[in-house]
Amino acid sequence: MKTILYVVERDFKYFFRYKWWIAGMISMNLADLLIMAVVYTGMVSQEITQQYVSYFVFFAPGLTITALFAAAFMIGREINMEVRREISHYMLSLPIKRWELAIGRVLAGGFRGLVYMTPLLITTITITHVFTNVVPSPLQLLSIVAALLFISIGTSGLSISLAISTTSFEKYITARSVVYYVLFFCSTVFYPIDLIQSALPQTLALVAQYNPLSAGADLSRAFLLGYPPFSAFMFLDVVAFGLVFALVAMLAYMKVTQK
Amino acid sequence: MISLRKVWIVAERDLRIFLQYKFLLIMRAAWFLAQIALFGLVVNKMLTPEVQQTVGGNYYNFYAAGLIIAMLYSTSVFIGYDIYEEADHGVIEYLLSVPVTRKELVLGRSIGGGLRSFIYVSPMLLFVLYIIGVTHPLQFLVAFISLFLFAFGVAGFSITLAVSIKSSDGFDILLGVLDALIVRLSTTLYPIAYMPSYYASIARFNPLTFAADLFRWGAGIESALLTPPAVAVFGIVLFFSVFTFLGIILHEKRLEGGSWQ
Repeated sequence: MKTILYVVERDFKYFFRYKWWIAGMISMNLADLLIMAVVYTGMVSQEITQQYVSYFVFFAPGLTITALFAAAFMIGREINMEVRREISHYMLSLPIKRWELAIGRVLAGGFRGLVYMTPLLITTITITHVFTNVVPSPLQLLSIVAALLFISIGTSGLSISLAISTTSFEKYITARSVVYYVLFFCSTVFYPIDLIQSALPQTLALVAQYNPLSAGADLSRAFLLGYPPFSAFMFLDVVAFGLVFALVAMLAYMKVTQK
Repeated sequence: MISLRKVWIVAERDLRIFLQYKFLLIMRAAWFLAQIALFGLVVNKMLTPEVQQTVGGNYYNFYAAGLIIAMLYSTSVFIGYDIYEEADHGVIEYLLSVPVTRKELVLGRSIGGGLRSFIYVSPMLLFVLYIIGVTHPLQFLVAFISLFLFAFGVAGFSITLAVSIKSSDGFDILLGVLDALIVRLSTTLYPIAYMPSYYASIARFNPLTFAADLFRWGAGIESALLTPPAVAVFGIVLFFSVFTFLGIILHEKRLEGGSWQ
C-alpha cells in the first residue's frame, strides 16, 4: 500500500507542475458556466428546462464532469510520453512491483481528477442550493462524490489504455480528441436526453443514454435538483465504467512495461 | 527598402512550421467536426422559435459561421507560441544571422501567422459556406478580404503579447484565459441581444464579434441583430492596423540588443 501511495504522490506532484494548464482549464470551465450557460439560459426554450429551473442550473452539475474528465485524462499524455522516451525503464528499476506501479498510476489519474473538480463541485452545490433550496443529505453527497470518483478512475484508465495502445503521439492525440468529443457531446452534460434522442441518430442517442458521463451528470442532478429521478442504473453505470477501464489500463500498463 | 521576396520566404517558413503541428491541426479539426455534427445540431433544437427568427431563421447556420471565426482566432494566435519557442531554443540568433532585415523578418512572421491559419481553416470555411449557401457573392468577397485582415490582426495581437511578456508560464496562462473569454464574450456562439448587458457591452467591441457578424452578412444570413457591415469592417481594419503595427514595432525593438534572452 505504501509503495502505491508513493506512485500516487509522485503523479500528484507532477500534476501541480502544470500550473498554466490548470489556470487555463479553470478559466475555461468558469467561462462555460458564467458566460456561455448564462447566455444560453435566455435562449433555451423553457419547455426543455422547466424541470431544472433554468439551463444555467441544468448545466452546473455537468460542469463538474467536464472538469474532472479533463483533469483525469491528463495522465494518459504523461504515460504516452514516458513510454516513447523510455522513462518507464527507469520506473521499473525502482523497488516497486509492476502491479503496484500500474494501480498507482490509474488511481493517481483518478484522484487528480477528483481534487481538481472539488472546488467546482462546491460551486455547483452552492448554485443549485441558491436556485432550488435543495440541500443534499450526507448520504446523497457521498453518493455524488463516489460516483464522480468512479468516473474519474474510469477516465484515467481509458486515457492510460489509449496512451499505451500507440507510441505515436499524433495517433494518441487523434484518438483522445475523438473519444473526448464523442463522450462529451453525446452525453447529458450539455443537454437533456430527450433532446439528444430527437436531434441525433439513434446510435448516437444510445451512446448518450449509456454514457457514464451522462449517468454521472444525471446522478448529480437527481440529488442536487431532484430531477431526473435517481435510479440504481446510474450508479451501476459509473461503477462498471470505473472498474472495467481501471482493470484494462492496469493489464495494458503491466504488459507494456514488461516489453 | 523591404524586399517582398524575402518577406514571403519568412512567411513560407512559418507555413511549413505550422504543418509540423499535426496534433494541433487534428485536434482543432476534431473539435470543429464535433461542434458541427453533434453540439450544433442538438443546441439548435433547444432554442425558442423567437431566437431562431432573430438569428436569421436558423440558429445552426448562425452557429456554424461563428465556429469558423473561433477556429480562425485560435489558429492565428499560435504564432505567438512559435516566437516563444524560438526564443527558448536559441533559434532567434540563427534567424538574425540570415540575410533578411529585421523589418522583413517581423513582417514575414505576421503575414505567415495569419496566412497559415487562413489556409488551414479554408476547407472548413468552404464546408460551412456549402451548408449556408452564398447568396450575395460581392458581399461575401468584402467579408472574405476582411477575414484576411482579421487573421493578420490576431497574429499581430499574439506577437504583441509574446514579445511583451517575459515569463513563458505567464504567456501561456494569459493566452489560455484570453482564449476562454474572448470567444465566449463575442457573438461567435450567440447573438448579442441575448447577452446580459454587462457581457454585451464587452462583446460589442470584441474583434471576434466584428469578424463573425461580417462573415454571416457575407454568407447572406439575414438578421437584424448583426453588427452593421460598415462598422464591422471599420472595427477589423482598426484591429488589424493597431496590432500589426504594435506587433511589428515591439518585436523589432525586442530583437534589438537581445532583450528576448
